[in-house]
Amino acid sequence: MNRPWLPLAGLLCLAVAPPLGRADNKPLPAVTPEVLAKRIDELIAAPWRERGVTATPLADDAEFLRRVFLDLGGRIPRVQEVREFLDDASSDKRRKVVDKLLESPYYVNHFTNVWRALMLPQTNNALGPPLAPQLEAWLKKRVRENAPYDRLVREVLTVSVRRQAMMSAGEPSPAVFYQANENKPENLASATSRLFLGVKLECAQCHNHPFAKWTKQQFWEYAAFFQPTAEREARVPGTEKTVQARFLDGSEPKKKSADSARETLADWVTSSENPYFARAAANRLWAHFFGLGLVEPIDEESDDNKPSHPELLDELSRQLALHSFDLRYLMKAIAYSNTYQLSSNSETTPLDAHLFARMSLKGLSPEQLYDSIAQATGFREPPTPDQRFMPFAPAGPRAEFLTRFANLSDKRTEYQTSILQALALMNGRFVADATSLERSETLAAVVDAPFLDSAGRVEALYLAALGRRPRADEKERLVKYVERGGPSGDAKKALADVFWALLNTSEFVLNH
Amino acid sequence: MARTPLLSRRDWLRLSAAGVVGTSLSGWFDALAAGAADDPRRKRALILLWMPGGPSQTDTFDLKPGHANGGPFKEIATSAPGVKISEHFPKLAKFGDRMAVVRSMSTREGDHSRATFHLRTGYLPQGPIQYPSLGSLVAKELGDDDSALPPAVSIASYSAFSPGAYGPGFLGPKYAPLMVGEATLAQAMGQGQGAYDQALKVRDLETPKEVPPAHADARIDLLKDMETEFLRHHPDVSPQSHLAAYDRAVRLMRTSASKAFALEEEKAELRDRYGRNLFGQGCLLARRLVERGVPFVEVSLTGVQGGGLGWDTHADNFNNIQKLCEVLDPAWATLLDDLKTRGLLDTTLVVWMGEFGRTPKINNNKGRDHFPNAWSTVLAGGGIKGGQVVGKTSADGMTVEDRPVTVPDFIATVCSALGIDPTKQNQSNVGRPIRIADAGAKPIKEVLA
Repeated sequence: MNRPWLPLAGLLCLAVAPPLGRADNKPLPAVTPEVLAKRIDELIAAPWRERGVTATPLADDAEFLRRVFLDLGGRIPRVQEVREFLDDASSDKRRKVVDKLLESPYYVNHFTNVWRALMLPQTNNALGPPLAPQLEAWLKKRVRENAPYDRLVREVLTVSVRRQAMMSAGEPSPAVFYQANENKPENLASATSRLFLGVKLECAQCHNHPFAKWTKQQFWEYAAFFQPTAEREARVPGTEKTVQARFLDGSEPKKKSADSARETLADWVTSSENPYFARAAANRLWAHFFGLGLVEPIDEESDDNKPSHPELLDELSRQLALHSFDLRYLMKAIAYSNTYQLSSNSETTPLDAHLFARMSLKGLSPEQLYDSIAQATGFREPPTPDQRFMPFAPAGPRAEFLTRFANLSDKRTEYQTSILQALALMNGRFVADATSLERSETLAAVVDAPFLDSAGRVEALYLAALGRRPRADEKERLVKYVERGGPSGDAKKALADVFWALLNTSEFVLNH
Repeated sequence: MARTPLLSRRDWLRLSAAGVVGTSLSGWFDALAAGAADDPRRKRALILLWMPGGPSQTDTFDLKPGHANGGPFKEIATSAPGVKISEHFPKLAKFGDRMAVVRSMSTREGDHSRATFHLRTGYLPQGPIQYPSLGSLVAKELGDDDSALPPAVSIASYSAFSPGAYGPGFLGPKYAPLMVGEATLAQAMGQGQGAYDQALKVRDLETPKEVPPAHADARIDLLKDMETEFLRHHPDVSPQSHLAAYDRAVRLMRTSASKAFALEEEKAELRDRYGRNLFGQGCLLARRLVERGVPFVEVSLTGVQGGGLGWDTHADNFNNIQKLCEVLDPAWATLLDDLKTRGLLDTTLVVWMGEFGRTPKINNNKGRDHFPNAWSTVLAGGGIKGGQVVGKTSADGMTVEDRPVTVPDFIATVCSALGIDPTKQNQSNVGRPIRIADAGAKPIKEVLA
């Protein structure tokens, strides 16, 4: 039941069997991101040969640049950034842009949002925002200093929840994670095992499932670590049975430790011996770039749901641990790989996405979409009240937009637009202002630039919205439209129409 | 003015083959008034009155007068002999003959989020399976692809506790409910209930004033060209879904369908009777939508002005319930009356339920806590043999003594009353078919007309 598209599962298993007869099948020592990138490409390409799959060609520069900006920086590139990149003739420009983005404030903002959304899924709706700023402030600090992932997780697992009393003071802290989980051992058990171990335990909370790996007893043994009392035990609901805190791999914590139960748990969770920890992180990062994990769903690895590329997942996890859980190292390796740089263009029916022979389309997070529209149109957010102090303050345009575009589905490769979202993009104030001749900075600049002809103006709008130059047929059609002045004979209005249409396309709202 | 649809017939056929949109083509012209009551082809519809937080059965439909658990409320007779309900439903009491009160709901989840998911999808949350909500299931079975209105509308919902329970799950975005007047956290907590008129509009339905109509049309044409090209090179679900949403949005903008939301067309006297509040006017909107052929509409009573945390009455239960009933009773009774007057009650099933009931025993804060063991729901109108009570709880209300009804049983009953086969299977996201109601579900035969 775990694997989507069950009929394909058999085929897939055949396809991803490790290639036989490899001479260099032994694990690599700690290697540079460049070497790991090559290894990724080898392991991903091996099954293609067996299945006679032809991968799509590498993405062109514009396609790559937009993708890498969205994945690492959380927004599309500026017109100037696109032009410079397209005109740069150096052969290592793709690596340079990856490195540059990883050092940029955009990376810090984006990964703060990414981790916040993972840690507080509740903030994707109306309940969470009052809790979010405190966590965001803490995440931002840690992402900026590139805190090793094991340290980050240890801090979440061991933070004193008594510090929640200081929430009103807005001190950066991951303590709200406990608050969002109502401080309940069972909720914290589900959330931490899913997030940090890639193990979905919650089905075992109430009953043993005939096909699932985890038992009700294991669930409550793990939950016992989150008891607020010193007992380190939990009662299994509906029974008289009391269980002792025990790790998920069955090992027992050393008794008589002076540490708190959560400290004991953190030692085990973040240990490089832990079979789940590095693996879950590597798989999650992979899914960040490709829209789906090497294990998918990403928190449900089991005998029925094995990784599509087991050797690769092993290698990525090992290298992550060997590099002291430096997430940027692994991101570099993935973003350097040809696999990541494959085009999403495909005229034929898409292949099984688990082959990674073509880049999947990914939906944008609400923040990515908002920040990209703002970027494309030159919009600047007016200052809004700090929600830490005014949780019910009227929402600014950003908060309002984020609520509307909150996406409840975690299937990023099957992003779905709702009617209300379509209406917001077509008629909503934010996009209306962004495409208004009076209020849109980008549009005003393009319309008024004395040195541009119609073709130049159309090109500038394409670069601003889609990060590419228009193809010849597009240019011809739209220049004609602009020169005719659209239905009213007004060239400026016609340019606004073109910009509006570009911002409403699938090409704009998706990462491809 | 001539309008070209965003998608051509061929586009629609291709998308329908991909399962993204329906099989028939409508363009942007008004569908025939298929909603008229005397149309023999009229399908049934469901209006769900959703009571988030878990309403107290002991203070609404299963009173325990004389018992310590009973509380201060009195029982009153209804138009059906033997069917007695709370004194705070004086108007509803006139419809006893159209109502079947189920007093023996017997479920297991006492957590808001999980119970909400259970009651609204018919299944417990389970691993990766994205179960569709009841509304989306009904939308799929009874929806009309030619309609410019979406097949499911959620009014005044507060979905934060269990977002998945409000979505289309594996049925896909085509069956996603259109959310109107979503409750804010403040509203769910009993504040800001006044601004119902603006809330009950579909947001951003109008083209901004500064865009002349001719340009608005031209923009759609430009967009269509751009989309066609992108879709050719990216034949994936996401751009298809994007396109389908735009097509539906444009249809809603360009046809008179959106008139359904013009509550100001109604007589002031009728609007008063429904109650000038978010829930009351939401019920009126539900009638207008059902009348126009929308097969599923739900209205949530999340909270009332000054009414604390809605139905989640852990403290001050009786004052809060009374305030809620003062909004619920006129709205619900007027809805039934209005449907009846328009000849729609025989084809419209009205269901009242929350995610669980509340402890019969009164706690130290004069409140009642979560209680899934024995609680009540109400079915009225289309497909229902009214004037009866199903099941029985013990004198103290703690246990079901007769005819326990499980969640799948209840879902199967609702489906059967709507003419939907509850054993029908839909293809799920995990590669196996899943029944509308879980295996073993038995509809409550005696309430089916």
